[in-house]
Amino acid sequence: MKVLLVEDNERVANFVKKGLVEAGHTIDHADNGRDGMFLAASEPYDVVVMDRLLPGSIDGLGIIAALRKAGSKIPILILSALSDVDERIRGLQSGGDDYLVKPFAFGELLARLDALVRRSQDSSAETTLVVDDLSVDLLSRKVTRGGKPVSLQPREFKLLEYLMRHADQVVTRTMLLENVWDYRFDPQTNVVDVHVSKLRHKIDAGFARPLLRTIRNAGYMLTADD
Amino acid sequence: MIRLLRFSARNFAIGYVALSIGVLALFAAPLWVAWRERIEGARNEFLKEDAQRLSEVFGREGAAGLAAMIDAQVGRRRGGEKLLFLADSSLSRLAGNLPVWPEGIPETPGLHAAWITVEGELMRVGMMGTSLPGGYHLLVGRDVTRFKILESLFWYGLIGASGTILLLGVLSGWMVRRSLLAEVREISRTASAIVAGDLSRRLPIQGGAHELDTLAQTINRLLEQIEQLLHGVRNVSNAIAHDLRTPLAELRSRLEELSVTRPAPPEVFAEIDTAVADVDRVIGIFNALLRLAEIDTGVRRSGFVQVDVAKVAAEASEFYQPVAEINGVKLSFQSAGAQSVPGDPLLLAQAIGNLIDNALKFAPLNGAITVAAARRPGGAVEIAVSDNGPGIPDGEKARVSQRFYRGDASRGTPGVGLGLSLVEGVARLHGGALELADNGPGLRATLVVCSTAATETPAR
Repeated sequence: MKVLLVEDNERVANFVKKGLVEAGHTIDHADNGRDGMFLAASEPYDVVVMDRLLPGSIDGLGIIAALRKAGSKIPILILSALSDVDERIRGLQSGGDDYLVKPFAFGELLARLDALVRRSQDSSAETTLVVDDLSVDLLSRKVTRGGKPVSLQPREFKLLEYLMRHADQVVTRTMLLENVWDYRFDPQTNVVDVHVSKLRHKIDAGFARPLLRTIRNAGYMLTADD
Repeated sequence: MIRLLRFSARNFAIGYVALSIGVLALFAAPLWVAWRERIEGARNEFLKEDAQRLSEVFGREGAAGLAAMIDAQVGRRRGGEKLLFLADSSLSRLAGNLPVWPEGIPETPGLHAAWITVEGELMRVGMMGTSLPGGYHLLVGRDVTRFKILESLFWYGLIGASGTILLLGVLSGWMVRRSLLAEVREISRTASAIVAGDLSRRLPIQGGAHELDTLAQTINRLLEQIEQLLHGVRNVSNAIAHDLRTPLAELRSRLEELSVTRPAPPEVFAEIDTAVADVDRVIGIFNALLRLAEIDTGVRRSGFVQVDVAKVAAEASEFYQPVAEINGVKLSFQSAGAQSVPGDPLLLAQAIGNLIDNALKFAPLNGAITVAAARRPGGAVEIAVSDNGPGIPDGEKARVSQRFYRGDASRGTPGVGLGLSLVEGVARLHGGALELADNGPGLRATLVVCSTAATETPAR
């Protein structure tokens, strides 16, 4: 994917640039608001990583608001050192699609960018999600693996649905907490891991090929690939 | 105009004096008019009638007859209350009790008032002059000097009264101003002491229905809020100093050791992974502290919505259920239906989650944790999380919600010691409290949320 990074801190910018290039993505970098605004408006990017506080006359939220006003639907992830819930809400209200607080792990950023791009690309209203021989019917809420029905509790179903929608992508624990449970705090204990391993037991136990993988230092991935 | 009307002791006194004098003038004016109209008018009528009668005598008996009559009426003495004077065309005296034509009285007929001197005595007179045929002039008058004294008395009285009012007004204005100033000075002295750093100072309350008390009470509430906020800031900075330094010191020594010893790559990477975990721990503490500070300021109260606390608690129980299963603990939820209060759903979820997380850490194998939502008689909603773990000794109960406090029983368990502080902060934000009680055995931690929290003035 083609990423625009608007970030004035050189060290953070290099860290993100290097990581994204290693992950096989193309990246353009602007270190001030004006250049960022110009690039975002003139080049076709898949996703924008926008720092909130930028030098110059226009800050991150200003750029986002201007882009949205001009009709741009490009997915934007806001990077910010401001962690208050109110700040987060303000960021999303200005037109950002996701909000990541500094300092952050690169894996978290990459997983969120993947999720944003995926979300913006599949706009079709799917009713059945399929990964390998695992199939989820969103209307009847029936789950089958290899033709055999799998019985899930409502929250497990939501968890699986999220993982299926982001199949072949790394999904972090924080993303699961935010999107499956709507929680925005660190529950300290490894609750998410326990939920995932319970789900894994239900969908993978007894099958030769496990679908739900743990990605070290990052999170989880539901995939049929080896 | 608005500036003039602004209340101050001086303006109030000036206004009061002006009003009193105005009222006095309103009272005196009709008296004055009545005096002029009734007394002087009646006197002038008499003078006219006298002049008329004497003119008729002149008509009948001539100048000599009139002179004789005048002499008969007033005698030969000079002065007196009634004044008569007959003069010929050259204004020389023919008869009457005035020695000469009085100076200041014109020859023209009509009513005249003047000060004249008779035999060296100054007197105020009202005179009716009449021209008689043959060039004779007749003056009929009254000495009104004694009325003048009354008149003066009236004026002196009026001026005296005004003066007294003015004096009293200025005096009371000064006194009011002085006492107001004394109180304002007291307020300002307290405020200065506070500015200088003594935040424990409070404004004096006079008691009774004192006007400045309302102001003083409001300011005192304001001061309490400020003190609490500052206290929060101080606590947070102490906490940061205390608890962030330890992991940072560990991290530093780890990195320094790496730099000095330069071990083989696999070992380096293992150390780096541990260092990243250290940093994550610091970030975790940092986030928890910031969240606490955010809660302490009360700012989040502005974003309150109606929250079904029972549902939040049910979801939190469900969230921790798999962990309880793994730990071999029975986690159950009880509720008497929806319990809606104004609140912050995210923070309430985190607070209840912390209580369950805490209980999970201490509940023994095959233990039981109960989460129960109920409404108290007063309208407050309580979420009680009970476990059958070791509990907290009475002596420690007050301290466990202090930041970074970790009881003896919690040594060796994960956590940074901010969990219960956060629960307490959230409870306070919602107008409630965190109550810790014995569950015999175990701990019963109750998060109380007040249903009227949002109707209080948000502390902004």
